[in-house]
Amino acid sequence: MKHYTLILTLFLSLSLCATAADYDNDPIRTLLNFDDIPAIIKPQFVPATKAKLDMDAPVIGVTFNDESHAYSIYLLNGHEIVNDVVGGEKIATTW
Amino acid sequence: MYDHQTRSLWSHITGKAIQGPLKGKQLKPLASMPQIEWNKWMTNYPNTKVLSVPFRGSMVESLSHDTYQRYHASRDTGVSGMKYTDKRLPNKSLVIGVQVQRKYGEDRLDGEAGADGQDGTDGQDGADGQDGTDGQDGTDGAVAHYNTQYSAYPLIQFAKTAILNDTVNGVPLLIFHDKKSFATAVFRRIVDNKVILFTSTDGHFAKDNSDTEWNLITGEATSGKHKGKRLQRLSSVNIYWFAWARFYPETTIYKP
Repeated sequence: MKHYTLILTLFLSLSLCATAADYDNDPIRTLLNFDDIPAIIKPQFVPATKAKLDMDAPVIGVTFNDESHAYSIYLLNGHEIVNDVVGGEKIATTW
Repeated sequence: MYDHQTRSLWSHITGKAIQGPLKGKQLKPLASMPQIEWNKWMTNYPNTKVLSVPFRGSMVESLSHDTYQRYHASRDTGVSGMKYTDKRLPNKSLVIGVQVQRKYGEDRLDGEAGADGQDGTDGQDGADGQDGTDGQDGTDGAVAHYNTQYSAYPLIQFAKTAILNDTVNGVPLLIFHDKKSFATAVFRRIVDNKVILFTSTDGHFAKDNSDTEWNLITGEATSGKHKGKRLQRLSSVNIYWFAWARFYPETTIYKP
């Protein structure tokens, strides 16, 4: 029985190595300080009728439980993350 | 990206923490519209709210230009010290990336890829907190196995059509991309437990083989046999090939 356990353990470790993603070994370089790109923590919203966007402006759209939020991609270039709640779900919209 | 509470480092592509106290934790993806022209979004979701951000003394909902325009136009990945070796596509080719997870029970096939605790419409979850790659969990002898397949749809495939019918990991899918508005959506091609096939499009509306018309932005049937039904949306990303291929090297690429 002990032998079986050992074999199983070996097999599992081998398969873990085989399935670990390649990028796990890629170097991680830190180029900016924390919060140099400020994530949006308390997002503010306006209704569609009051929003000033070009008709062809690119947005990310999220809809959940009948609530919808749009985020301008050009604005997100400078923030990258919006900590938000949509339809009761706590989400991070990232770009 | 970092969280303020633990300063763990997260990949916004996989949603997984790769460094720090939360390493190994997985966020659930929420199926959404990765990009779309404002007027298309507003028309389909008139009750939408729009993010408003302080900028030079006033609140704005957009900026007039894309600060990454040069990056998008260039061939550079912008990542220093990394060589990307998967040359099946040029590094900066845009693709739609999709992952389809299936859970295999002891003997039976569950088959509910992207199964969802919600109403089975918007929102997909990486079921059971797994990270989507091959893995297993469960105790008491009831071991569940997970298998995930990855598929990339180059945007050039949408030059002449806005829809592709495909099957990934045994799950019939519709991939929709409108080159004008940049709207993108991935849906399961299943209604009332039956597989449907999409045959034609007119803008963001498409007909299936029962002559039902679907709005492919909202996923709702607007007329015909299935009127009122809603397709289940899967999460997808619009992403450069170099990044998708590095995170998911086992990905296949759609060929017509």
